[in-house]
Amino acid sequence: MNNYIFKRLLQFVPVFGLFLVFSFVLFNATPGNAFTNILLNRELPPEEYARVIATFGLDKPVHERLFLYINNFFRGDFGYSYTHFPKTPIDLISEYLPRTLMLFAVVNIVAFYTGFIVGKILAWKRGTKTETWITMASVFSYTVFYPWFALMCLWFFGYKMGWLPVGKFLFPEKWYESPYSADEVFFTMIRYTIVSSLVLFFIFVLSKNIESISQRRNTRLTGFAVLIVVSFVFWNNGDAGLKSTYAWDIAYHMILPVLVVTFVAFAGTALLMRTTMMEVLKEDYILTARAKGLSQKRIRDRHAARTALLPVATSFIFTIITIVDGAVITENIFSWPGMGVLLLDSLLREDIPVAMACFSFLGVLALVSHLLADISYAYLDPRIRIGSQG
Amino acid sequence: MSDPLKIEDSKRKNSIFSPVVQKNWYLFRQSKMGLIGFFIIVFFAVLAIMQPLFFISGYWSNNIYDPVVGYDSIEVELVIVKCPRNSDFPTEKYDKPEDCPGDGEISDRMVMPFAPNAKPGDYYETFLQPAPPSIKHWLGTDSLGRDVFSQIMKGSQVAFMLGLLSATLSVSIATLLGTIAAFWGGRVDTYLMRQADLILMVPQLPLLLIMAALYRFQVWHLALVLGILGGFGGLVISVKSQALQVKVKPFVDSARVTGGTKFKIMTSHILPNVAPIALLYMVFAVTGAIFAESTLSYLGLLNIDMSWGMMIHLAQTDGYIFSGLRYWWIVLPAGLSVTFLSGGFYLVGRGLDDVFNPRLRKR
Repeated sequence: MNNYIFKRLLQFVPVFGLFLVFSFVLFNATPGNAFTNILLNRELPPEEYARVIATFGLDKPVHERLFLYINNFFRGDFGYSYTHFPKTPIDLISEYLPRTLMLFAVVNIVAFYTGFIVGKILAWKRGTKTETWITMASVFSYTVFYPWFALMCLWFFGYKMGWLPVGKFLFPEKWYESPYSADEVFFTMIRYTIVSSLVLFFIFVLSKNIESISQRRNTRLTGFAVLIVVSFVFWNNGDAGLKSTYAWDIAYHMILPVLVVTFVAFAGTALLMRTTMMEVLKEDYILTARAKGLSQKRIRDRHAARTALLPVATSFIFTIITIVDGAVITENIFSWPGMGVLLLDSLLREDIPVAMACFSFLGVLALVSHLLADISYAYLDPRIRIGSQG
Repeated sequence: MSDPLKIEDSKRKNSIFSPVVQKNWYLFRQSKMGLIGFFIIVFFAVLAIMQPLFFISGYWSNNIYDPVVGYDSIEVELVIVKCPRNSDFPTEKYDKPEDCPGDGEISDRMVMPFAPNAKPGDYYETFLQPAPPSIKHWLGTDSLGRDVFSQIMKGSQVAFMLGLLSATLSVSIATLLGTIAAFWGGRVDTYLMRQADLILMVPQLPLLLIMAALYRFQVWHLALVLGILGGFGGLVISVKSQALQVKVKPFVDSARVTGGTKFKIMTSHILPNVAPIALLYMVFAVTGAIFAESTLSYLGLLNIDMSWGMMIHLAQTDGYIFSGLRYWWIVLPAGLSVTFLSGGFYLVGRGLDDVFNPRLRKR
């Protein structure tokens, strides 16, 4: 097992090196550079252009710049942003990244859980009218042209009905007298989300082995109730109590993106879950379970769904990369100031250092999630686990 | 129902298709969704083919119906009305500020610069842009007087060309490389798999954004990039796993024993058995390509004169999205077309899945 992980890590080193070279070439293969427009200004002598080029190190040959880039990458030095001058790309990313992560962590958890449940029901009710309709809806949500759908939702909920805000991260007019910056409040929210999801996770894990279904459900409901009471107390006392109105403002702006992305994202999981579970339902042990006289619900939840979860869960880890794809579109439609907006803005304004940093960073994110997926595959799939030993 | 796989001999002889095609078509027909998807694709294909025919036959004239530079003006008479101030709503005629001016009316403030003497109650002749659907323009015109139906047809041409081109490219590359990786193994396999890892690792949409923003991107560039990315990326892994299953079948062994060369075994034994799965992936690749094109042109990054993504982009930048259903012929058709065509390909893929994966067939 350790051997396998070590081998994978070793294999990822050249892949990562190639990725760095690739991203460098991608940005440096464009004709001209960010300062070519200086040449158009007749007032400025050509020496001035040469000086600026030399200042930014663009006069060096390509291979030297490539080594400098790789060297600086590992020191975390991406230069300065052209458009937000005194800030470095790292500053900008550390400001924008938490917003993306928060939004999409929530979306993914919600979407995965809904998809799991819907897929389970679909496979169980194969051949009925319900299945046809829900499958139709999931196929629609799987294939709907997402930007258009998001715009229509924005129009309906934000403009026509006026229930939810039309994009943006917060209402600036509510924050004039705020003693906190938006980031401080947001970090409190992130900490709260992490802690409460961990608690939820533990409730599920601890109650997993309770045999009787009704008792297990009651335990879980009690856990939920306790969590709700504790969070109510938390948000009404002390420091968090002062922040709660502002936190609510941010949360209010998160509802629509979360809803829309969830609607689009759950279908992939649901359809995959349907296929895997249909295969599982043909296995012999399901027949055995039926013959033993177990209740239908028990067969569905404990025998079939548990087994079908494995490939779905591992494929879910792979979809972490598609978070990034979704982020670019979602954030631009909902004006949510995250990595996607930063990337597109920096590209449109030719802010190359920021764009390069964003792209490399997304690559690192994808690399890490790939490694995680591989390792969890190895951990969950006995064939790989045993194969690496022998 | 009689046994489907034994089609009567007389029928079989009369049909122009081979028995294999007939059998597979029967299996495909079993999944209703696949059939629906098939008809959706046929519908859009007909749309794509009809447009040049309309132009050539002279049924449509170029300067009215051209999707990009066509122009048609529809003359209407509007009643000039004086809209109440926002604070006065609701009045007995209008409920909300958005209701004024209503259908067939125009606000006096809009008219003032052009006809200073006009009074409320007068008629005002103007060109209606965008015009609602009529017999002449089946889906109305957009804000520049261009025919929306013609734009939809043009968009479906773009979608088919791009989708089929990139899917064919990616699937043929992936099939070739996947079989090579499975059959040769060793270093070639390791190299191809690491290459696929690298391409899977690069986030695709940001990469396309960067390329489209930094270089001047045409549609066929996009098809090429998508084809290469798909062909060297995850598809290779899927095809390879399929080819590995074929490789251990007895007929490959017997071919080797009887002295077939590696190349011969690969082309005549492994490739034909991998091809059905490759066809399946191809159908899904088309959906991805259509999505990528529409997203890029929606963000305004693609060098293209008309496509469905472009139509949504125009509807948004012209401000019709928030007009909701009042100008539905501008807002809805493009988005629904993308949805339905990619949905159609997806459904066909599901139908093919039933044909090629016997395990999934209904008990």
